[in-house]
Amino acid sequence: MKKIIALALSAVLALGTLAGCSSAPASGSTAASGSTAASGAAAEAGELNLYTWEGMFPQEVLDAFTAETGIKVNYSSFDTDETMLAKLETAKGGDYDVVIADDYIIETAIAEGLVMELDKEKIPNFGNINPLYQGQFFDPENAYTVPYGSGVQTIVYNPDLVDIEIDSYADLWDASLESSVGITSNFRVMNGMALKMAGESYNTDDVAAIEAAGAKLLELAPNVRLIKDDNLQDDMISGEISAGVMYTSQVTLACMANPDLKVVYPSEGIGFGIMAQFIPVNAPHPDAAHAFIDYILRPEVSKQCFEYIGYYCTNQAADELISEEFRPFLTLPEGFTADNMEMIQNVSAEAMEAHTKVWTEFRTACGQ
Amino acid sequence: MKTPSVPLKKKKRSSVWVTLIPLYLFTLLFVAGPLVYMFVLSFQTRAEVWGVVNQFTLDNYKNILQPVYLNTFVESFKLAITSTLLICAIGYPFGYFMAKLSPAWKKRVMLLLMIPFWTSSLIRLYGWIIIFRANGTLDKLLMGLGLTDSPLKLLYTYPAVVVGMVYALLQFMILAVYSSAEKMDWSLVEAARDLGATPLKAFLTVTLKLTLPGLLSGVILTFIPSMGLFFIADILGGNKVVLVGSLIQDQLMKAHNWPFAAALSVVLMILTSLMISLYKRITHTTELEGIL
Repeated sequence: MKKIIALALSAVLALGTLAGCSSAPASGSTAASGSTAASGAAAEAGELNLYTWEGMFPQEVLDAFTAETGIKVNYSSFDTDETMLAKLETAKGGDYDVVIADDYIIETAIAEGLVMELDKEKIPNFGNINPLYQGQFFDPENAYTVPYGSGVQTIVYNPDLVDIEIDSYADLWDASLESSVGITSNFRVMNGMALKMAGESYNTDDVAAIEAAGAKLLELAPNVRLIKDDNLQDDMISGEISAGVMYTSQVTLACMANPDLKVVYPSEGIGFGIMAQFIPVNAPHPDAAHAFIDYILRPEVSKQCFEYIGYYCTNQAADELISEEFRPFLTLPEGFTADNMEMIQNVSAEAMEAHTKVWTEFRTACGQ
Repeated sequence: MKTPSVPLKKKKRSSVWVTLIPLYLFTLLFVAGPLVYMFVLSFQTRAEVWGVVNQFTLDNYKNILQPVYLNTFVESFKLAITSTLLICAIGYPFGYFMAKLSPAWKKRVMLLLMIPFWTSSLIRLYGWIIIFRANGTLDKLLMGLGLTDSPLKLLYTYPAVVVGMVYALLQFMILAVYSSAEKMDWSLVEAARDLGATPLKAFLTVTLKLTLPGLLSGVILTFIPSMGLFFIADILGGNKVVLVGSLIQDQLMKAHNWPFAAALSVVLMILTSLMISLYKRITHTTELEGIL
């Protein structure tokens, strides 16, 4: 009997431990009618290792790509940009052919020499990219990346549950919103919100400014019900929170589920981010990678992709194809340009430490 | 590692050592290796944006002494103690009465205890979200019974976190108490009763004493994991209860400050090791009841 208990307990322990680290990168590979190794795809280019977050492409698009080119797509996923960079570093820029990640981490990846310069001859559709999303800090010459979706930090609220009119970040501090605000758990975004209110830049290296923003943020604590990155829109839809600061894809999902929700572009300033595709420097199948990037840039393919992921469409040629239902969510509002929005970039180690300290204090205060 | 003092006179003996080598290698490589790496890392300096610079510093440990970070240790202890006390209160009687069941029922109860583990603990946590959320199962039940008239905000609160912790760790306590109550000689209790002890006195002087090792190992088995189960606090508490584990994850994945994360882990491990040695001191045992 004792042995059984011992066995059972150790099994339980092992299971418990495993459950904690729940990264499930199982590669949902997409092998369509694989036998037809099409002419363009040489034996060497018969495969493509795609590495990005889960759910970045509709299955039909990947299947159609395989059917047309004969290139089999092996989709593996990461949960955070940092995991991706660590893996790419270990693989010395190999193993993967196309990676899609966030702007700031790509800047680091390029600086570490892990990214291959694009051969634009092989990407005839390069011109389809909306120039608004090009030439940004992470790739000023557009030499390494092709944008794949963009988003801005947005406030969403449910007018049925909120008594006030919200049009700025400052309104979230209103006492009537006690214990009903949901925010993302990205501290650069949230501390940045308080920085913006003080008229500072997201990317200030001034520790005193960050600490002042932290003090402001502490006053928000009684209103915060939830801090969460993934699927914050679910809590908005279920009524768990009545106002929230979220990413564009979450806004799209929330508003599709409940059209009564109000979307607010905070008056203090707009923060925005770009996701982009790049080819690691030692990619095993660079030709397939270029072919894939070009394929995704086709207007009709882009349309499918962006309607699926719910981010702002970065392909200018696809804009007009996007259906009415999605258009308000997938195209940037009039008058928004890279000049009046700000991107979150890497800051000094000192500033980063101030950010984490401020954030930990804030989170603790929210739980009190 | 000590070399055996007895000379290896028989061939048999040396062949045993050969078969053990893979085990030692495995342990060295996958247990000791990462620990040493983490220990070394905790004395290094973070690079400006990404990675680590090989430069000795004690700053990572000094950093922990800042009130905001020390507080995460306090929070972790507070939560661990709260949940362990509740688990004792529920798990001890459960294990005790389970040991008194007939053999057939013992097996059935054991099976029922094990079945939840066939599902990932994360999925089971999401089950609690469905119960706790606004207009969820519990709200509907309470409102249906007329006890409350509007949805309570139960999810993303401290009690929700405690419930999640108790739920996740209760089995360890039950099984530990059960295993020591099961092998107890019940005739001792009868003897105490024959000699005039009241049931309560017999329980306190005989049963409790004999099952104490089980209870204490149950405490260890629940207290230590609850120091680390930060994902429960994150999911059911809405990221508002900052435990050490959660801080380590933040430092590692978001702040890119690996040395600080390593220093936090080292301190956490030292604290938990102290707990275990304290347990050994109190109970004079070298093994955890219910495990070996």
